[in-house]
Amino acid sequence: MLCEVCKIREANVQYTEVVNGVRTEHHFCSQCARDLDFRPYSAIFDGEFPFAEFLSALLGGETPAQKQDKYQQIVCPTCGMTYGEFVKNSCFGCADCYSVFDVLIHDNIKQIQGSESHKGKKPLYQNAGSADGEAAAGETAVGEAADGGSASVEEQIAALDRQLKDALRREEYETAARCRDRIRALKGGTQQNG
Amino acid sequence: MDNSRNIIYSKVRLSRNWSEYVFPSRLTDEQAKEMVGRLCGGLKDIDGQLNLRYDLVDLSEIGELGKRLLKERRVINRVILKKQAPMSMYLSDDEDVSLVFNGADHIRIQVTKPGFHLGEAWKDASQLDDFVNARFPYAFDPKYGYLTSYPTNVGTGMKAAAIVHLPSLALGQKFPSLITDMGRFGVSIRGLYGEGRENYGAFFEISNQKTMGLTEQEIVDLVGRVAAQLNDQENQVRERTNQSHRLLREDEIYKSYGILRYGRRISMKEAMSYLSQLLAGCTDELIRFREPCDIYQLILGIQTAGLQSRSKRPLDKDELDVARAEYLREQLPELAE
Repeated sequence: MLCEVCKIREANVQYTEVVNGVRTEHHFCSQCARDLDFRPYSAIFDGEFPFAEFLSALLGGETPAQKQDKYQQIVCPTCGMTYGEFVKNSCFGCADCYSVFDVLIHDNIKQIQGSESHKGKKPLYQNAGSADGEAAAGETAVGEAADGGSASVEEQIAALDRQLKDALRREEYETAARCRDRIRALKGGTQQNG
Repeated sequence: MDNSRNIIYSKVRLSRNWSEYVFPSRLTDEQAKEMVGRLCGGLKDIDGQLNLRYDLVDLSEIGELGKRLLKERRVINRVILKKQAPMSMYLSDDEDVSLVFNGADHIRIQVTKPGFHLGEAWKDASQLDDFVNARFPYAFDPKYGYLTSYPTNVGTGMKAAAIVHLPSLALGQKFPSLITDMGRFGVSIRGLYGEGRENYGAFFEISNQKTMGLTEQEIVDLVGRVAAQLNDQENQVRERTNQSHRLLREDEIYKSYGILRYGRRISMKEAMSYLSQLLAGCTDELIRFREPCDIYQLILGIQTAGLQSRSKRPLDKDELDVARAEYLREQLPELAE
């Protein structure tokens, strides 16, 4: 059967439409089908299975919208990726994203992988720098470091970001929330000043 | 007779990231270029690793056709094919070993071995992994393992795959449900060639679904077990038909040879199905050539990018069918007396 739009190519997409109980069948070739609007299914005709979108739905879509909103703005201080972006693309921006979003993604990774921890080979060499940073941040009380008058706003935000990340890793949500509020306040301040 | 004869090749891929840079999706082109340059430079003494010679290939300079050719020959995957960013690769001269920089992850190590040698492929990949890691520290987390761009690769960062040829099993009515059931064992199986839902040639890739919570050896064993099981079942079905319908089998195989050897226009679908018949005939020793012939290499050779690069110009569909027939006429040896 030929495609009903171009009438040149062989139809290989069958589209069944049900409107008010009336069923109509259409036959398109994949090229014409790509130009039509099939809403969420359009991506199918781009030649690739929309795996990222499918994963996204599994990673974030199932959680209640409120929870989503609350976490959307958590930002990875290293690469600048937000949790919202991660959920959208199912792709991490850097190695630190794993610890920043740890509590949010832990269950999902467990679901995808059927396990919560790595077994097997370990690298011979690893980045030694990160371990020191963690110990230092763990000892500072929330917000204190950022109150020092000498630090610039950017530095304060960066310090708070680190604390936020650590609090999330330790599952101390109240601490994390306080960090987040302070970051928001500081960011608001810079915008007004600028 | 080799009892793993339906297993065409084995493949192990490791995804790694250098702890110094953010993952490829967040790198600017300048950063990517710098990183790729440093990786290439730091590994330039790679020659001799696994007793092979390597060439440095700049993937952003070989053009669309060059990349499609590498994709057809299973050196690179679709992500790398489609990506437009600075990317380079060390490729062994037999094309079985490759290290791609700045694909989905910073470093992608792939080792392919003809036949059923998953364990050896893993051993070789691991050796190259240590060679890279001695120069570049990896992003690794004690809990999550090797950190990768996609959460579906995290942990071992390893994909082990066996490519099997199942022409008789695939004819069975229960085959589609068998494919679906594979998920329960933690492996996935997908057709290698075809269009839409139609499979050409009955080649299937079996690979691990999960990358975390199993050791690399456990992944190798899991994929190997399933591949061996499918291979045995295929053998049993073929042996039965060879006994009960030998004339019919020979007829199919020799007719396939005739069309491939003397045809003047051969579509992809035809060529794949006849080459599949011929491959089964060769492994069952129902047909013999005057000189040895690797049918799977012919299957790689008749794909679109391969034919276009041989003819050195773009071909339309009809021209491709003619070029395919010409290629097969040249390559297929005479039958043994």
